[in-house]
Amino acid sequence: MKSQRIPIALKIKQLVTIIIVGFIVIWFLAPLVLITISAFASPGDYYQIDKVIPTHFTLNQFKSLFFGLEAWKAILTSIKVAGITILLSFIMGLPAGYALSRYIFPGKNFLKLLCLATKMFPLMVLAVPLLIIFMKVGVSDTIWGTSLAHTAMVLPIIILIFSSILSGVSVDYEEAAMIFGLSRIHAFFRITLPLALPGLAASAIFAFMMSWNEVFVATILTLTNRTLPAHILKTAMASPDYLKFTAGFIMAVPAMVFIFFVRKHLVTMWGISLK
Amino acid sequence: MVKVRLEGLKKYFDKVKAVNDIDLEIIPGEFVVLLGPSGCGKTTLLRCISGLERVTEGRIFFDNDNITYLSPKDRNISMVFQNYAVWPHMTVKNNIAFPLRIKKYSQHQIQEKVIWAVNLLGIDNLLDRYPAQLSGGQRQRVAVARAIVMEPRVLLMDEPLSNLDALLRVRMRAEIKKLQEKLKVTTIYVTHDQVEAMTMGDRIAVLEQGIIQQFGSSDDIYHNPVNTFVAGFVGSPQMNFIEVEMVHKNEMFCLRAKGLEVPIVDNLKDKVSKLSSKRNYILGIRPEHIYLTGRAQTDKVATTKGKVYFAELLRSDTVIHLEKEFGLLVIKSPGDLKIEEGKELEVLIDLSRIHLFEKDTSKTIF
Repeated sequence: MKSQRIPIALKIKQLVTIIIVGFIVIWFLAPLVLITISAFASPGDYYQIDKVIPTHFTLNQFKSLFFGLEAWKAILTSIKVAGITILLSFIMGLPAGYALSRYIFPGKNFLKLLCLATKMFPLMVLAVPLLIIFMKVGVSDTIWGTSLAHTAMVLPIIILIFSSILSGVSVDYEEAAMIFGLSRIHAFFRITLPLALPGLAASAIFAFMMSWNEVFVATILTLTNRTLPAHILKTAMASPDYLKFTAGFIMAVPAMVFIFFVRKHLVTMWGISLK
Repeated sequence: MVKVRLEGLKKYFDKVKAVNDIDLEIIPGEFVVLLGPSGCGKTTLLRCISGLERVTEGRIFFDNDNITYLSPKDRNISMVFQNYAVWPHMTVKNNIAFPLRIKKYSQHQIQEKVIWAVNLLGIDNLLDRYPAQLSGGQRQRVAVARAIVMEPRVLLMDEPLSNLDALLRVRMRAEIKKLQEKLKVTTIYVTHDQVEAMTMGDRIAVLEQGIIQQFGSSDDIYHNPVNTFVAGFVGSPQMNFIEVEMVHKNEMFCLRAKGLEVPIVDNLKDKVSKLSSKRNYILGIRPEHIYLTGRAQTDKVATTKGKVYFAELLRSDTVIHLEKEFGLLVIKSPGDLKIEEGKELEVLIDLSRIHLFEKDTSKTIF
């Protein structure tokens, strides 16, 4: 009898674990499922109060959102802005991340802290002064203006991520390349960069997501060249409810698809090695 | 074949003097081992020679070229790293060909040299593998092949065998030594393993606290250590160090500790006659120079007795720890001996092989 008691205790423990995990999963997935179902639901089904789960589905909302409300333009703008954001944050982030990972210099930890400290300023505080500066310089309401603002938002985190990714590539590989005839910068491009590529690709997608989802700055800085979330905020939010769900679905899908594909590298990105 | 000369080399990390004023001259084609405990500055010295570390002061010459401020890529050197540093995203072939590609050799030459190198190291069947598919020993061979393929002026090795298992290490020791003799490339080899140093080095530089304590052949280092550090670092088990005082007795100089009296033989007399008897000295005796009764090949011995505290029965040798008033006396005797712990044992100290050091300075008197 005694030997059976332990398995029962274990089973209870297992059951509790399953219940907790199940609860967390439902907590996160329920809204997504709701959004997805409502995004495709026909307006008639959506407004029928006694119908919890709609049975008629349609793509009409997508059509009116993409073309009627010109979301396709906003998606294009979003992609451009995100692309430029990635480009700029890589150009500036790689050397900075490299310096943080490879060298010891006075104020290094302070700089790292500073990178995090920039996250303490709410974007709202910065947005209005930023708009005034951008207007003076003449980049307000342009793709470049939004990209610059997004780069400023993404860069500090990207620098920290890069430094941890590059720290994951042993200095020995680089030094070996330098011994065998490459300068430091060539060694970086021919040896370190290829080895860091999976992590860097993951951070590019991370930067893409940050830019893709950012709504506040994009709304304030632009009127005509709006990114998707800013555009949706302006148009779809003034539309019927089912269109809002469709817009939410469009916003969420790329993020989920990307994260699904790069989830393994997202872990390495934060300096945790899977090896 | 290149002569390597270091002049007053210094490398400081803030206040820490990792390499502190080193002069060293390595003759062309020589295999020099930098030997020392961890933190003695041997790796830093090697990295200064490689150019991966910028020197604080001093100069480095290859033949008559001052290369102190050249970047590593312009020094025409190669290096074998402790953890191999074989690039994981390239095949074995590309790893070995890489230095040649950078030096812009022709496709034909590259092919030829790579084949030559892999045949030399017996890894010709691994050409298309990736490092992740190789064992540690194979990776080591790839690293060595990559290092010799471009025929460097100087070959640097940073503890290349320390990550290998014991059996493989012994084999690679001989192989690397033979390879170096064949290639006649000036080689600087860093290790903390005195056996590696003794077996491989034409000359050995023993380092401690960023300073070369002694630079000489293994014969020199073993038989004529310049101070207690070198004497204690080389040889296994470690040399016995016994604090003694000098006494004058019956026209004879004698070293005395509690329970031990070692007379000084005639041919060493000159070296001690001027010494003050008031100061303290350290007597050094290697465990292999203390014999069991009946095994001495000389009659110039001093006898001493003690209880066996512990016996290491290695079967090929027997290491006996003898309890004495001044501490433990370690004796190494060849062969599988039946030694019982707790038993009284008489041993003979070879008087012509003892060492004497000054206590204050640790310097050797003889």
